[in-house]
Amino acid sequence: MEKSRVKRIHHKGRLTQIPIYLGKFFRMFIYEDDWKVVPMAGVIAALVAFVVGSNMFKTMEGTTMGSLGITCICIWNGFFNSIQSICRERSIVKREHRSGMHITSYLLAHVIYQAFICVLQSAVTVAVCVVAKMSMPVIGFITPWFYLDMAITVFLITFAADMMSLTVSSFAKTTTAAMTIMPFMLIFELLFSGRMFQLSGFAETLTNLSLAKWGLNCLCTQASYNDLPMVTVWNQMVKFKNVSIMGETPIEDVVLYMQDNNLVSDFNLAVGHNSMIDELNMTAKNIFNSWINLGLFACIFIVLTFFFLKRIDRDKR
Amino acid sequence: MDGSTNNPLDIGIFDTSDVISIIISTIGMYMTFKKLGVNKLFSLVPVYRDYKFAQSVDREDEGKIYCICNLMVQGIAIFRTFFIRYFTEFPQLDIFVMFALIILSAIFFIYSARVFFGLCEIFNMKKRWVILAMIAPGLELLYFGFSKKITPRYIEPEDTDDKEAAALSGYLAKETNEGLSVNIKSRTVKNHFKTKTLLRDIHLNIEPGNMVLLLGGSGAGKTTFLNAVTGYEAADAKILLNGDDVYTRFDKMKYNIGFVPQQDLIRYNDTVYRTLADAAALRLPSDMPRKEKKERIEKVLDIFGLRPVKDNIVGKQSGGQKKRISIATEFISDPSLFILDEPDSGLDGILARDLMTRLHEISRDGKIVIVITHTPDRVIDLFDKVIVLGKDADRTGRLVFYGSIDEAKEFFNKDKMEDIVKMINREDEGGEGKSDELIEKFGEVRNGEI
Repeated sequence: MEKSRVKRIHHKGRLTQIPIYLGKFFRMFIYEDDWKVVPMAGVIAALVAFVVGSNMFKTMEGTTMGSLGITCICIWNGFFNSIQSICRERSIVKREHRSGMHITSYLLAHVIYQAFICVLQSAVTVAVCVVAKMSMPVIGFITPWFYLDMAITVFLITFAADMMSLTVSSFAKTTTAAMTIMPFMLIFELLFSGRMFQLSGFAETLTNLSLAKWGLNCLCTQASYNDLPMVTVWNQMVKFKNVSIMGETPIEDVVLYMQDNNLVSDFNLAVGHNSMIDELNMTAKNIFNSWINLGLFACIFIVLTFFFLKRIDRDKR
Repeated sequence: MDGSTNNPLDIGIFDTSDVISIIISTIGMYMTFKKLGVNKLFSLVPVYRDYKFAQSVDREDEGKIYCICNLMVQGIAIFRTFFIRYFTEFPQLDIFVMFALIILSAIFFIYSARVFFGLCEIFNMKKRWVILAMIAPGLELLYFGFSKKITPRYIEPEDTDDKEAAALSGYLAKETNEGLSVNIKSRTVKNHFKTKTLLRDIHLNIEPGNMVLLLGGSGAGKTTFLNAVTGYEAADAKILLNGDDVYTRFDKMKYNIGFVPQQDLIRYNDTVYRTLADAAALRLPSDMPRKEKKERIEKVLDIFGLRPVKDNIVGKQSGGQKKRISIATEFISDPSLFILDEPDSGLDGILARDLMTRLHEISRDGKIVIVITHTPDRVIDLFDKVIVLGKDADRTGRLVFYGSIDEAKEFFNKDKMEDIVKMINREDEGGEGKSDELIEKFGEVRNGEI
């Protein structure tokens, strides 16, 4: 009896709802000063470039530090972009879901909007590195331009971190809860980046779960890490050249010999050659491997966010 | 050498101090449960006793987390004891487990402190007693349990009173093709260890064109009732809106039901017009011509007096305007059933009346408008009917009355709606506690026995 009476009325579907939410988010970009995250990314990048930029792409140590710095910028930017974006309007999302909003549309609109912000931040970060006169290569390994190669990596790290914090934002009930979780994520990323602290066994395996590891690997690979000189040994030798053994200073003799014969660069390259890391070999496979892993992380976090958002109707009053 | 292994009190993974601590806390909890009116035997059931303890000191939610953390900490500790060989082999695993234990212990510590704050409140003791509880909880329980000077402020009431809850009316609302027909048998929730009935035996018909007041004291089940009617939280019920089953056709019917919650659930960073336009895009049929959609938005702007502020940012509007925007957002889909949860909260008398008058006009358009308000008497002339919900002796939400305003005044022999609420509220809530009596009386009236 009832079936015939209900008129077939169609409402906006999943795809057509996306522009509605995109519109909302882009207006938020303007009205709620969300645009400020873009210049902020520039300021942070400038600070990092000022501190660690001078030796980036020049030595193994400088490249590791610089890459870690850039990776940290990306993760920081990504986390802050979206950590509050869902939890701050959780009750609105619940209400809208009950009145016809599709979770997929809402989520995809978020993903697109966040990707847009990440693209801007990546462009700004790379631009700041260029302006800060980091001695970058010109020719890229994957694309014809190194800047573009680097921008893709920076984007993928930022975006994966952004999606990770979007997941946190989707299950945290309040902004306070989300902001409490964030430092733990940051510490995890830093500790398990795989290059800053010597880890082995289970802890080393855990590094595979950190975005920092793949970001750092990718940036080091693109910087041709294995072809760079390692200066730590030379610096230590210079530092300890006055150490006397049985009335003689053998280290100083070696230092002077190498300086007199212009062997310092060769020595540093030889030391570097002995410290090569296979997974940082400058091959397309290594770069794509890191890119794919970062992309996979982003996808996993999007799927997790979807499942968390689907449970939003269960929220109590 | 480990001297403790020779101690006769050492049992498996527990050492002497553990055993003594368990005995002390069990005795302490046994005596505390006795004072709090909780079944004493629960004190002998590990973990569950902690939940009952938290529940009895009015910290049930904290108790759940406290128990889960406790279980996890104990579980990890036992796991580590049995698999110590692997931990020696893989020190990183040990670090990871220790890290997890530290976090869990921190949570456990915080939540156990919260539970003991509850204990102090119940026993009217200073909060500094929590410090002892954190060092030696068993000793504190022992002291609280045995000391004759320490008595609980109140004992948590049992689910049922001495009084018996009002009998079911046996009345069923007629299923009609016009208006709203509500037949709720019950609405229950399962909460971990128990099932609670929130609503029972609510049957009524609301004809189109009525503005209905939903009245009831705090916790009488007003919002639960509305959630059941709108299909957001399904009950054991049959709800028909203009002949269509809300539950079986929820995906379609949800556009025909407007629900305005108490809080303004709108984004403050958008313009008024865009907020309405987005709501229209989401809720109006996708095949509706753009011109018609625009006309609908313009009409709603006029109905709620929002035209002068349509290009302004929502967050910069006054409280009254935000409320009207919130209502307009729901009204955009032109629903046949329009429900508002305290739309006048925070508004002064003039603004509240203005808002209610607009809602009254909407109802004259053939819509059903149901409103919850805690200040009904200032606008009572605008309502056609009243639904009165009250808690019975089982603390379940029941229908105390449904009818016109005049009939309500006659039934309760009161002139003011606020006096009606006072009449049905429980005595411990400052009311007269006549809820059960009136529920039965209304059942008899409906069945033609009076």
